[in-house]
Amino acid sequence: MSGIVGGDTRVGTPRRTVLQGAAAVVAVTGLAAAGCARDEGPDELEAPLAAARADAATAAAAAAAYPDLAARLTPVADARHAHADALAAEIRRARPDRAPVVDATPAPADRPASAAAALTALRGSLGTARDAAGALALTTASYRCGLLTSVAASCAGQATVLA
Amino acid sequence: MTTPAAPPPPLSGDLQAAVLAALGTEHAAVWSYGLVSAFLPTADTAAVTAASLAHRERRDAVVALLARAGVTPPTAAAAYRPPSPVTDATSAAVLAIVAEDDVAAAWRAVAERTEADTGGELRRLALDAVTTSATTSVTWRRIAGRTPLVPAFPGDGSAT
Repeated sequence: MSGIVGGDTRVGTPRRTVLQGAAAVVAVTGLAAAGCARDEGPDELEAPLAAARADAATAAAAAAAYPDLAARLTPVADARHAHADALAAEIRRARPDRAPVVDATPAPADRPASAAAALTALRGSLGTARDAAGALALTTASYRCGLLTSVAASCAGQATVLA
Repeated sequence: MTTPAAPPPPLSGDLQAAVLAALGTEHAAVWSYGLVSAFLPTADTAAVTAASLAHRERRDAVVALLARAGVTPPTAAAAYRPPSPVTDATSAAVLAIVAEDDVAAAWRAVAERTEADTGGELRRLALDAVTTSATTSVTWRRIAGRTPLVPAFPGDGSAT
């Protein structure tokens, strides 16, 4: 799908070209990040990974417990699951020594006390995830900045849907 | 916010091209909302106004940033060609989605070209742009009947 095109000149980089350029940058920064990644202590992405997994579990548990919420919460669970997969993949790439942490089975979420409580909890945790991912995006390596910017934006959008 | 005295971020050729592309999508979004507003019900007027204002403010911020860096920014095109005809509220919402997706993709590309120590200003602009795109698009995706209402990775090029 092509974007909006100027009347006589193409305004903006075509989507396909943008992606090709981004892929090249990812390859380069991937090497740089691997070369200078700190090899001690947790990876900085482990906190957003844990948050994404917790949200996915909470949203899935609430959707199962309250079928009326499923239409609203299943997309949240899906998106946070996708965030967790992407963050885990980046940690495994940059920090193979942290794979045991990444591969640990996350704790299942408790059944929420009520539908309202589930929505309130998710709105809060999505807002926290938005802020945390956004803050980390400002200080991290180039490729991770792009990923965390998208994760923060998605969390902001999910919180809007649940508002 | 940024003061006029703030030093410009270093703009390598690749990063500068990405910033100029992002500016182009902001111009296109401003133009698109002008068209969209004619086809959406008055109940959505406030949303269109807010979305358009956000793009104009970011456009102005980018123009000022480029000026500080000594780069002459390109002006908006006189008109833009929507990828599909705009004839009613649904097709207007579709154009708004395309405009917001273009903005998000262009700004994520900017973010990926910044360095942590020098890219703070552009990273904040990118974060604001992609975030606002994701939240604003919820309204247009509802009107257009698109799901999910929020992409998992706004700006990565896979949104529809």
